[in-house]
Amino acid sequence: MLNIQDLHAGVDNKEILKGLNLEIKPGEMHAVMGRNGSGKSTLSNVITGREGFHISKGNIEYKGQSIIEWSPEKRALAGLFMSFQYPVVMPGVNNTYFLKAALNAKLKHHGKQELDAAGFLKLIKEKLTEVDMDTSYLQRAVNEGFSGGEKKRNEILQMLTLEPELAILDETDSGLDIDALKIIADGVNRYRNKERSFLVITHYQRLLKYIEPDIVHVLIDGKFVKSGGKELAIELEEKGYSWLES
Amino acid sequence: MNISSFQTEFNKIMGRDYFTNHVKPIRAQAFNNFLEEGLPNKNWEDWRHTDLKPIKEIDFRLSEISDAPAHELDITEFGLDDIHTIVIYNGHYQESMSSIPNGVRLISLSEYGEQKGWRFNEQKDSPFDLLNTAFMDSGFCLSVDKGVQIESPIRILFISSSENKIMVSPRVYIELEESSSVTFVEQHEGNSKEYLLNSSLIMGIKRNSRMCHIRIQNNSGNTFNIGNIHVHQDKESHYSFYQFAYGSKIGRLNLFTNLNGKGAECFLNGLALTCDHQHLDNHIITNHNAPNCTSSQNFKSLLNDSSSGVFNGRTVVSKGAEKTDSNQSNKNILLSKGSLMNSNPQLEIYADDVKCSHGSTTGALDRDAIFYIQSRGIDMTSAKALLVRGFVSEMIESISNKYIKQYVISKFDSWLNENTI
Ligand SMILES: Nc1ncnc2c1ncn2[C@@H]1O[C@H](COP(=O)(O)OP(=O)(O)OP(=O)(O)O)[C@@H](O)[C@H]1O
Ligand SMILES: [Mg+2]
Repeated sequence: MLNIQDLHAGVDNKEILKGLNLEIKPGEMHAVMGRNGSGKSTLSNVITGREGFHISKGNIEYKGQSIIEWSPEKRALAGLFMSFQYPVVMPGVNNTYFLKAALNAKLKHHGKQELDAAGFLKLIKEKLTEVDMDTSYLQRAVNEGFSGGEKKRNEILQMLTLEPELAILDETDSGLDIDALKIIADGVNRYRNKERSFLVITHYQRLLKYIEPDIVHVLIDGKFVKSGGKELAIELEEKGYSWLES
Repeated sequence: MNISSFQTEFNKIMGRDYFTNHVKPIRAQAFNNFLEEGLPNKNWEDWRHTDLKPIKEIDFRLSEISDAPAHELDITEFGLDDIHTIVIYNGHYQESMSSIPNGVRLISLSEYGEQKGWRFNEQKDSPFDLLNTAFMDSGFCLSVDKGVQIESPIRILFISSSENKIMVSPRVYIELEESSSVTFVEQHEGNSKEYLLNSSLIMGIKRNSRMCHIRIQNNSGNTFNIGNIHVHQDKESHYSFYQFAYGSKIGRLNLFTNLNGKGAECFLNGLALTCDHQHLDNHIITNHNAPNCTSSQNFKSLLNDSSSGVFNGRTVVSKGAEKTDSNQSNKNILLSKGSLMNSNPQLEIYADDVKCSHGSTTGALDRDAIFYIQSRGIDMTSAKALLVRGFVSEMIESISNKYIKQYVISKFDSWLNENTI
């Protein structure tokens, strides 16, 4: 599904990712852990095509094709999704309008019939219950005045609506209360299947109790220094990161 | 238009005999006052960012009877054709095409002058008001009687269409007697060559009355549109103003609102859309002259290509205007590298117990937001359009008349379609 080889990337003259390798197969759940500033969000941004990040070496393949020259929307339409660590507030942009435009762009891309207002409302109401949000969020501007946790739920709502094949969840658990964490984890687990893959970035083993990863990677200074099973997350929680530093 | 060309045209208007002689000394006084200072230049504090050189370089002449339409016009091309309209074509009132709703009274400027004893005591403020008084042509007064609520909106449609370089100076009075209400649309259209439109609108809003004023400025790209608006509000009156300006080469709005009675409120909103080399200047003065009044100035611009804009907002809270609540906001998005905005919100406070705030932001579209939208599968152009729509939506949505709101939305959409953002 996703294959990253010897990726070197950064901003301006600063290299942030320094030779990163990652292979995610269909249906796999990968977790990435690492200190603040180690490059986790940079990795998500580079995969999803944010401007300003420069790839100096290496490649990113998605379903066998190199995507590093692709626009962000092309990547999204091909099935990539990122739940933002810091979802963007968009004053005046109606949440329903935004989500409907995104979904219809996707349907159109796949040659499917676009949804009208009624069809979309029916669909979105089902998705809302999955993340335990009420319909009042639909009338609001995207993320405007949303609490930290509400923003994260809104990200997952978007994921469930757009149905990506590879979802990157960048600290989706940060700022969530325990109930919300459980709701979101349940949503993600229901969404999991043999075809869909995940890259979950987190600081806490707590999330990984609910969403069981197949593989845990430790990112230090722009590289994965260790990868292992879910027990690695427990070990990290106990010991921190310094024992892994060279 | 240099001073001697103004003088030539002035002599012409003084020679016209279809105005009563009462108007002549008023014109002469105003013209003399105008001559003392001349047209503003960039050394004038209030005109620092608006260069009138293009106006000075063109010799305009007065609109003549021959500039009136030769035959019946089709005004449906300007939209909003479901509402009562007073048509002014190159300064000439088109009676056959005009209608007013029941309950509104329309009288000529001469009749109005007669009633008021020929006192046109407005023009302390701008040189363009003086010019308007000196040259005023299509003048009339609309009034609504005490207690009368006019449900259907009324529009004044100014059509500026000429092959010739002409100048037009409409003068309009609107008077709302106690506890009355009206929605009034001021619309500027036409496909003129070089053209100078200098209008003065004077509104009297009596106690407990409400006026909603929607100004649509869609003049041709060669027109200079100077709009002078003076609003006088009594106790507990309400005035809301919405400007949608996307036309003209240079547009300047001088909007003076005077809150003269306790508890009066005015909400002033404007959206300017500029492209090419357009320049739109909003000069907005709110005077709090009485206690417990509320005001807001909420102006936004979207600037493309090499266009430019000015927001000069001033809220003056006089001594004794306690419990004033006022807010000024100016937000601008620069859609191109070549566009330029000058924003200057100012507060002058001479009272003690007031709540006043102001703020201004100018910048490009938010890159993070563009990426956020793109990352959901929406292309860059649509992402920008989505943000731009979000930027203007609050203002457009606040127009309560659905028909007019729909019209403004359609105009905004066409602007967005015609512009590469
Ligand atoms: N646009 C940028 N300009 C300059 N430096 C940047 C930029 N983006 C990231 N960096 C730097 O790159 C490093 C990695 O940042 P990144 O956001 O990827 O960290 P992270 O692992 O996600 O951290 P956290 O756990 O705090 O979210 C940091 O030192 C950060 O300051
Ligand atoms: Mg991060």
